[in-house]
Amino acid sequence: MTETVNGVVFAILAFASIGGAIGMLTTRNVMHAAFWLLEVMVAIGGLFLLLSAEYLAVVHVLVYAGAVSVMMLFVIMLSLRRREDAVRPVDVSIGGAVLAILFGSIVYIAIAQYGDRVAEMPAEAPDTAALGELLFTRWALPFEVASLVLLVAVVGAVWWSREVDR
Amino acid sequence: MLSGYWHFLPEVLVVAAALAALFGEYLPGKDRGTAYLGAVVAALAALLVAFGGTAAPMVFGQVEPDGIARFARTGVAGLTAVWLLWVAGRGMPGERRREAVALALFAASGGMLLSMAEDLIVMYIALELSTMPAYVLMGYRRSDVPGLEGSLKYFLLSMLTSIVMLYGLSFVYGISGTTAFSGIDLSAGGILGVIAVLLVLVGLLAKMSAAPFHYWAPDAYAGGAPVAVAFVSTVPKIAGIAVMTRLFGAIAPGVPALPLVLASAAALSMVLGNLAALPQSDIRRLMAYSGVAHTGYLLMALAAGTSMGYIATVFYAVAYAVPSMAVMLVAAEEGVELSDLAGLARTRPWVAWSMLVWLLSLIGIPPLAGFFGKLYLFGAALDAAMVWLVVLGVVTSVISAGYYFRVVREMFLAEPGAGVADAADGAVVTARSRSAATALVLCAVATIAIGLAASPLLASLGVRL
Repeated sequence: MTETVNGVVFAILAFASIGGAIGMLTTRNVMHAAFWLLEVMVAIGGLFLLLSAEYLAVVHVLVYAGAVSVMMLFVIMLSLRRREDAVRPVDVSIGGAVLAILFGSIVYIAIAQYGDRVAEMPAEAPDTAALGELLFTRWALPFEVASLVLLVAVVGAVWWSREVDR
Repeated sequence: MLSGYWHFLPEVLVVAAALAALFGEYLPGKDRGTAYLGAVVAALAALLVAFGGTAAPMVFGQVEPDGIARFARTGVAGLTAVWLLWVAGRGMPGERRREAVALALFAASGGMLLSMAEDLIVMYIALELSTMPAYVLMGYRRSDVPGLEGSLKYFLLSMLTSIVMLYGLSFVYGISGTTAFSGIDLSAGGILGVIAVLLVLVGLLAKMSAAPFHYWAPDAYAGGAPVAVAFVSTVPKIAGIAVMTRLFGAIAPGVPALPLVLASAAALSMVLGNLAALPQSDIRRLMAYSGVAHTGYLLMALAAGTSMGYIATVFYAVAYAVPSMAVMLVAAEEGVELSDLAGLARTRPWVAWSMLVWLLSLIGIPPLAGFFGKLYLFGAALDAAMVWLVVLGVVTSVISAGYYFRVVREMFLAEPGAGVADAADGAVVTARSRSAATALVLCAVATIAIGLAASPLLASLGVRL
């Protein structure tokens, strides 16, 4: 019973994320593309939820669907002068096609080689506390260094954007 | 559990100084004092590393302060100290100094951590910390359109290749089931292992400005202020090379194609870099292409894949970085056009003679640092039976003398020009300063001393001569 329910939910979410990604790439309006991206992010958050990774699901929706998508919309809003500028011509380049085929074949090789080796799912999903413990013990060093990277980004942005005061 | 954590003391000091520099307004001496403080702390960190000894892998095996890490960390911290000393004297053109000081120190701490990374996650995050400040330093002059363009190109390409590298790292993790370098085994991956390594190489080669991913470097450097280029083009490179020796040491046994790939990139970098540098008249472009060529020499010994090759690579990374930074600092003082150096031997003889030392070292004339560096590189490649690569290296080294000697001819034979043309647009700093002069003298002394002390230094890296 739950298997079927999970399967149906997965099918819906998978359709939403892949379909949304296709929608994002094919729409000619950058504004619409940003909203399609938002939809993809929410759908992927749902996939995390399906895997009982509540924390990841919430963070994914908060950061990607919330912050990143809103930033995209701000960038579009601030950089476009006229409404018509939001519509871009459909750009089909040979370079893009080659890259797509290249990356597609890499994914195909990976699935063909390792697709049958699905990791055993634990009977009970580890909770958020376990994730936090791991983050602050085993991975404390890269976790703290990540905060320095963010600090550098903030300092750089402030330095660049402030008025020249001399 | 906390035993051995004092090995992180140099990094902690550097980060603390970086945080203090952000509050430079309240420090005694304001901007100048901030830069001096940074220089002193970075020099202290370099001494602590140099005399701090080595240790087994620590922090869950994620870092290993071994001989290679010690050498690279000393180089990173020491060069940062020299750069900050110069900045304390002459300042950043058209800007206040404190943010630049903080960013340089952050980059140094990232580079020092990167040099001892033994884990994919630590490697990636340290790589970002050591390159992120570079984007900011390269494009900080907002009114300068070519500078912004170069900086944007650098940022976008660097980010794109970072993503490609992450994609490759995800396969490396998927095949070996661990992110620790010690547990990486790609032999089970077959063709997928080769693909993963190629993707990782795209990221690393682009950050090292190696051919065929070098084309961002000349444009980015030619747009940046020369003082920023001096830092960005040298210090992160040492750390990047150090971590490449560690990563490839772990990957190489499972990927038989790796030496061939690295050797081709090395050959391409040496030929393209040296030939493209020949006609340049902008010193920043000239040094950018020369940097591509020197990355080629470094990759040659990486391709050898022996422990002697790895040690020679790290040794040469430092032996290249010192004179390269010094040449860019002189360009920051005198102007970025080759003709700005005209008659330097008459107007500032000691600078001209120091320049001669650095350029001869870059060509590889004994007894300077560059000669012994290249000797060990070529020796390691010969041991690995890559004769064609060594022949190519020697031939391109001779070609490189062509453009380095153009600089020498300009300094010693040309008439002094009508003064610095770039002073008006704020690209160079003309004010004389004792601490900037000290920084240059230190670079000249180091270039000679690394050459004279080559064998004890190599012994400290773990070579039995």
